Amino acid sequence: MQELIIDINAICHTFSDGYVGIKNISVSISKGEFIILAGKNGSGKTTLLRHLNGLLLPDSGHISVNGHDVSKHLIQTRKTVGMVFQDADTQIVGDTVFDEVAFGLENLKVKRAEINKKVTLILENLNLFHLKDRSPSTLSGGEKRKLAIAGILVMDPEVIVFDEPFSNLDYPGTIQVLSTIINLNQSGHTIIIATHDVETIIYEATRIIIMEKGLIKEDGEPDSIVKYLESYGVKEPCSSKFGLGLQPWLP
Amino acid sequence: MLSAHLPACFFYFLILLLFFKKAGLNFFATLNSIKYFILLLFFIFIARALTVKGDIIFSLYDITITEQSLTEGFLVAFKFFLVMLTGLLFSTTTKPSSVKNAVQWFLKPIPFVPEKRVAVMISLSLSFMPVILKQAKEISDAQKARCANLQKNPVKRIIRLVLPLLKKTFISADRLVFAMESRCYNDDRTDPEFLPSGKEIPFLIGSFIISLSLAWL
Repeated sequence: MQELIIDINAICHTFSDGYVGIKNISVSISKGEFIILAGKNGSGKTTLLRHLNGLLLPDSGHISVNGHDVSKHLIQTRKTVGMVFQDADTQIVGDTVFDEVAFGLENLKVKRAEINKKVTLILENLNLFHLKDRSPSTLSGGEKRKLAIAGILVMDPEVIVFDEPFSNLDYPGTIQVLSTIINLNQSGHTIIIATHDVETIIYEATRIIIMEKGLIKEDGEPDSIVKYLESYGVKEPCSSKFGLGLQPWLP
Repeated sequence: MLSAHLPACFFYFLILLLFFKKAGLNFFATLNSIKYFILLLFFIFIARALTVKGDIIFSLYDITITEQSLTEGFLVAFKFFLVMLTGLLFSTTTKPSSVKNAVQWFLKPIPFVPEKRVAVMISLSLSFMPVILKQAKEISDAQKARCANLQKNPVKRIIRLVLPLLKKTFISADRLVFAMESRCYNDDRTDPEFLPSGKEIPFLIGSFIISLSLAWL
């Protein structure tokens, strides 16, 4: 049996305007899993993701990451669970690619020499080192998304959560980001991706969770769930529709 | 600078032109980018020209233009122009991260000022300018696509642009807060790294000489 990394137990969250974000969600996530969190817009995917990183705290129920209660160990949680947001433009805070990746480590008061070493290593691993002095605003969509991933990776998280990682990306950008995500999972990171378009990644996933109106409606392996996707407003991949099963999206 | 006389202003202007050339900036393109500011300077010149007393050159009804008013109007407008050029030269040749680091260093000795927070705020403002300008362009284009340019009232046009832009900016700011929090943002951060370029001493000596020359002129 795989080791548990995130344990969500009966959490509910209602926003200040009375809108119910998620209701009575319970789910366990093991190390190394590749999970797709699918559902229509407004189904509660982003709200659930933000609880994993401690950006939102549940009104009731509790979440633990590596056995620690998220609400009591926020910094530890954010080091363990990195989050890549949907809009890379509003996530990037550095003036240069290098500064952007260094931001998280500076917040953790890591020594400058170690920051320089770690940032260089991550930039080289993600093939971004040649852009280190560029302003992030001048990068392509795919490069910006990879930069956002680098900014998270440098903090050495075990789980990486992506909110709609392929939105607004062209084909080469999508390939760049998808390859990076697959490599991360193969190197042992637990991946959780919230999306309403599963076609690109369903082949790589080990599990799909479908949400609707703040509730988990389905949870299982992609092969067993794929035929129910459209009943929850998520498009079934073409290959599955044409009877070819799940096919890899990367060429 | 603001109390300097005309020869000193011209000398400083020549130095600025030299720096523009050295920095590879097109001076006329820069003038084009500040054309509305130059229009404002023209109004400042007119206001001064009509209000300062002295030896009358021209008079019509109550309007009198004097030799002193023209000289003073030109001098005031020219000084503002030089301040603007200096600012532009500074912002185009200095990295936002250097500005941020310098602000943090200068504010450090001042008690009760959270220098690291102020530095991050300045850095964020500078790095978000391209995002805000891009959003403004998108909103403007979306409105032009629906013939908003037929509206001739400039106030209404500005309101139509500014309200959605403010809304987008606040939403982006909210997202930024989440993104920063998710990466453990706090005021107690690693200090910036100051890497001397080796040009500091010549720059200090040069600045001192220029300041002395301006004072003498």
